Amino acid sequence: MKYIIIALALCLSACATSVPVTMNFPQVPEELKASCPDLKTIPEGTTKLSEVVTVVTENYGQYQECKIKIDAWTQWYNSQKKIFESIK
Amino acid sequence: MGQFTWMFSIIPDAILNWVYWGIIAVGLTGVFAGWFGKFIPVYGRYVEYLKPVGIVLLVLGVWLRGGYDTELAWRAKVAEAEAKVVAAEAKSKETNTVIQTQYRDKVKTVKEVQIVVQERIVKEAAKMDAECKVDAEAISILNQAAGGKK
Repeated sequence: MKYIIIALALCLSACATSVPVTMNFPQVPEELKASCPDLKTIPEGTTKLSEVVTVVTENYGQYQECKIKIDAWTQWYNSQKKIFESIK
Repeated sequence: MGQFTWMFSIIPDAILNWVYWGIIAVGLTGVFAGWFGKFIPVYGRYVEYLKPVGIVLLVLGVWLRGGYDTELAWRAKVAEAEAKVVAAEAKSKETNTVIQTQYRDKVKTVKEVQIVVQERIVKEAAKMDAECKVDAEAISILNQAAGGKK
């Protein structure tokens, strides 16, 4: 009788099984994948202030766009992390 | 072992459940018959075979029934996890759309400001160029700073 009890207890012990469910890595929007362009340079030999200001302001614009991109990446990462952690 | 699991998975759960309970019932019957059978004439001769067979069937039945419950519990967990993953993937796509839209709107605003600024430069160019002449060294410094190289 004691052997039956031991055998039954062994049979009822829990089985360890891994759950084969995985989440696909989230895709980032295509626009964010493009790297920020290099800053523009002023043509050598120019003496006009207007040309200098034009290039400098274009570079400012480029920086603004790049900043938006970096902020979007940060937002994307934080959001996706939150979603990923919610399914644990 | 995987083949057995697969073969069992194609048998309907209800049928498996009945089969397992059947094995347990037969095993129990065998065990009890083994104990009480020795008091029955003629039948008592088979008791020595009946009892171990009953024990084996009982243990097998309980093992299979335990496995069945575990399997069902895991299936439920997998279904729950899959549902969560599907919901998370949908939410992830939705978030991407929101981020993409916000990004496009902000970039559009920057480009619009750029157009306004460029128009102002064109408008004021004559005045700026008349009052100031930029030294070549200043251009070199600005370009070095923009290039980020030594």
